[in-house]
Amino acid sequence: MSPMTRVRTLVGAIALALLLAGCSSGGTRDDGRVTLRFQSLAWQKESVEATRELVDEWNALHPDIRVEYVQGSWDSVHDQLLTSFEGGEAPDIVHDASDDLADFAYGGHLADLTDLLPERLTSDIPALSWQSVTFDDGIYGVPFLQEPRVLIADSARLKESGVRVPTPEDPWSWAEFRQVTKELSGDGRYGVAWPLKDPVSATLNLSLSAGGRLFHRDAEGKVTVRFEEGDEIVPRTISEQVGADHSASPTTLGSGGSDTLPGLFAGKYAMVPLGFSYRQQIAQQAPEGFEWQVLPAPAGAGGLAQGVSPQTLSVAEDCPHKQEAVAFLDFLLQPRNMVRLALGDWMLPTGRQALADPALRTPEHGWAVGTALASHLRPAPAQSVRGYPEWKDKVATPALQEYYSGAIGLGELRKRLEKDGNLVLARYQR
Amino acid sequence: MAGPTPTRKGADAVTSVTEARRSAPRAPGPARPGRRAVDHGPWFLVLPALIPILVLSVGPLLYGIMLAFTDAQSGRTEPTRWIGTLNFQDLLQDTLFWESFRIGLVWAVGVTVPQFLLALGLALLLNQDLRLRWAARALAIVPWAMPEVVVGIMWRLTYNPDAGILNETLRDLGFGGDRDWLSGLATALPAVIVVGVWAGMPQTTVALLAGLQNTPRELHEAAAVDGAGAWRRFRTVTWPALRPVALAITALNLIWNFNSFALVYVLTNGGPGGRTRLPMLFAYEEAFRYGQFGYAAAMGCVMVAVISVLLAVFLVGRLRGGDER
Amino acid sequence: MRTRPAARAGQYAALLAYLVFLAFPFVWLASTAFKPATELAGLHPTWIPKDPTLANFRQAFDEQPLLRAALNSLLTASAAALVAVAVATPMAYVMARHRSALARAATGWVVVSQAFPFVLLIIPLFLVLKNLRLIDSLPGLVLVHVVWSLPFALWMLTGYVRAVPAELEEAAAVDGAGRLRTLVSVTVPLLAPGIAATALFAFVTAWNEFFFALVLLKTPEQQTLPVLLTRFIGAEGVADLGPLAAAAFLATLPSLLVFALIQRRITGSLLAGAVKG
Repeated sequence: MSPMTRVRTLVGAIALALLLAGCSSGGTRDDGRVTLRFQSLAWQKESVEATRELVDEWNALHPDIRVEYVQGSWDSVHDQLLTSFEGGEAPDIVHDASDDLADFAYGGHLADLTDLLPERLTSDIPALSWQSVTFDDGIYGVPFLQEPRVLIADSARLKESGVRVPTPEDPWSWAEFRQVTKELSGDGRYGVAWPLKDPVSATLNLSLSAGGRLFHRDAEGKVTVRFEEGDEIVPRTISEQVGADHSASPTTLGSGGSDTLPGLFAGKYAMVPLGFSYRQQIAQQAPEGFEWQVLPAPAGAGGLAQGVSPQTLSVAEDCPHKQEAVAFLDFLLQPRNMVRLALGDWMLPTGRQALADPALRTPEHGWAVGTALASHLRPAPAQSVRGYPEWKDKVATPALQEYYSGAIGLGELRKRLEKDGNLVLARYQR
Repeated sequence: MAGPTPTRKGADAVTSVTEARRSAPRAPGPARPGRRAVDHGPWFLVLPALIPILVLSVGPLLYGIMLAFTDAQSGRTEPTRWIGTLNFQDLLQDTLFWESFRIGLVWAVGVTVPQFLLALGLALLLNQDLRLRWAARALAIVPWAMPEVVVGIMWRLTYNPDAGILNETLRDLGFGGDRDWLSGLATALPAVIVVGVWAGMPQTTVALLAGLQNTPRELHEAAAVDGAGAWRRFRTVTWPALRPVALAITALNLIWNFNSFALVYVLTNGGPGGRTRLPMLFAYEEAFRYGQFGYAAAMGCVMVAVISVLLAVFLVGRLRGGDER
Repeated sequence: MRTRPAARAGQYAALLAYLVFLAFPFVWLASTAFKPATELAGLHPTWIPKDPTLANFRQAFDEQPLLRAALNSLLTASAAALVAVAVATPMAYVMARHRSALARAATGWVVVSQAFPFVLLIIPLFLVLKNLRLIDSLPGLVLVHVVWSLPFALWMLTGYVRAVPAELEEAAAVDGAGRLRTLVSVTVPLLAPGIAATALFAFVTAWNEFFFALVLLKTPEQQTLPVLLTRFIGAEGVADLGPLAAAAFLATLPSLLVFALIQRRITGSLLAGAVKG
């Protein structure tokens, strides 16, 4: 029966192909050589190139410890890592951000690097940065890049209005900022456009400058949410800009940062609060003749302080070659390499030596403003709180979105953040 | 094993509806009670399918129900413990879950009802002797064949505020047209529901069409001769014949829509502000984003229970409604 | 029966409205796929690309492992379809020919399994497959797809088996052929078209499937087309629309082709069944 034979051949071929597909993804091979899978989340062209080049350099220098570059994506990294760790299929070296590590660190999926890290790295990176990756006295990652939130401003609009231009030494206060945006508004133009697609980290991180902290740890180590005076200032300023003053565009509240750029280029918005790395897109996309500059975010009772969640590199607990993995991290984060990565991502390196590099201190593209802010950066609040990701997605994001769009008031916002929020946190702290 | 996602599942629904109908008169034929007693053959023949079903469907289901009574979490530092009904107690207080449940019901009903009405209309048209019928038949199948992910992407392109055709058309017609459909708090759920209706229409149409072709033409003609108008003909002749198929496909649609996942995952991922976070998405995130396996399993159990009850009420009510007439 | 012209015109208008509603998103997808980047960035999009190009397709292939994902999809879907049909045919035979408790239980399972939210299933399934070390492996996904497509495969096949007259088998049995021989040499050849349709349907189902692939596959080299497509959408939700549309367009073609092949058979047998019933 020839059709039958054909089917049988087909089945055999598919089985074989599946088998091969299954095998080709194996991790370490038995020939004495070590293979480490390194999942990078670099996505901008320059930073992907920089990272790949560094991996190639490492491989050329260390034929016995091969590093395999795996491309990940920021979009789904948490789900992807969680299921990979649970399924025992995680990469050996993991690129992530410090506010995403808590569950993995507490869950025992990441290796404690305390005794593995070389002295050079531990002393080069400041203690505040290390704090952001420390959970229960263990160090679960190496913080290596970070970005302050800054105001990107249309220079022509600023000049034309004659407002005082702030510097890191003499920044605007929140009240002054509100006043300035009012002056810059009118005729269908806005002083500022807040891209608040992810309102939680923007609000919480900027609130540090106004003395907000939101998360309070009691004597037994249990964390609860309390929305107090210091926590109110930033959300209230934004909401008043949108609602009362009409100095902030109401349509960008649900947008991502890139979505606001066309409006900035067109003169519709005088300023946009963005992460430091957005400068790359602006430099690339700005129309000819568009002049822009970087301003520090407003300051409050807490000075210029703001929260950041540095990008991190961690080693999986299941990785059989932790020593080698850390050696690779040490190589990747040599000062000159850190500078390359920082330039590629348009971000600030955490290492002191790298930060001192002249390439990162030029006034061009606002680099100097950013580096001047580096010492004011603190670990983002709450990132060591278990259950923070769920609180953020399910409680805080919708509550803040509705608050900013005017659907609910400050009282309801407080109630949701505290009542619903503490229920979620309690489930993680039994 | 839970069946395929809604778009996919239509096929077996439709098949099942008609298979059942087709096989009914023949069923008594082949099975002979006398032969069964000495019959050990079936076990051998059934085994290849039975093992995967037991290992990958029945077993996991029972395991899943068990998980709902534990504090199973991601991570390996803490052992899993039995916690009785604590998950369910938490769930009772979880306003976010019930909000998501409410959204799920709005979505399921909001999709199923228009889906049924539109599909009925299309089926009635296709049952007529119209030109272009072939085109409509071919097109009606397209959403059925498409991967749900592609359906989602396609509609994202359509809804795109700047580059989408919807806003452009509205602009041309002078209705403004600068809405961001999928991220507006008020528009997101309706926008997603439209996609749900679009994606699920084909199998409903095909099932109803099959039912329609089943109505006796002679009765129709007799009624027409009696001078009955189109509406009366529909009520007295067409609908009674169509009713069993309509009920079955509606009940199935309701379940599938309630359990749907991929469309919304691609279109809005539950946003903005959780306005489109269907229960399936909620439970998925609970399990595979936050690692709360036990809690998510409890959600699954509650979803099954509530849906079973609602469905029972719906079916009993409908059937009784039919008897009274 | 005569329909009044006004009513007829109304019917055509309604049919046209349906055609537009059903077709326009797909037309838009195709149109976006063939538009050059400059046109996509413009403020007033048009239905028909002014300057059609294949650049989006090229870019999609260059920037994403599209071929690899397509190969993964093809392999898993083919394997799942073949295995599903192989295990379902004997079982469907039993379900159609024997009224045993087992057959009833199987029928019950087919019906009940339609109602279960798969989230209740995927969590334990994930933990089971983890213990079998089948997470992030295509064979693991194939297994899941097989079980997932079994209910409708059983439904379709049971119907086809019933359509084969039992007398034929009994004649063979009288001739002394064993049960298995009868099945293989008499029933299966008669079932062949039905088996093929079922297999093709299972193929499309697995090709289109997203949820299980999303949860079970982790490394980029393993992912199937639908999973890759969602990655395309990108971190900020603003992907390059052109390449995204191009890739989505390509991913749809196999499903459409297979469906066109079996559509007549499915609707045909449906309608035939309905009319006979």
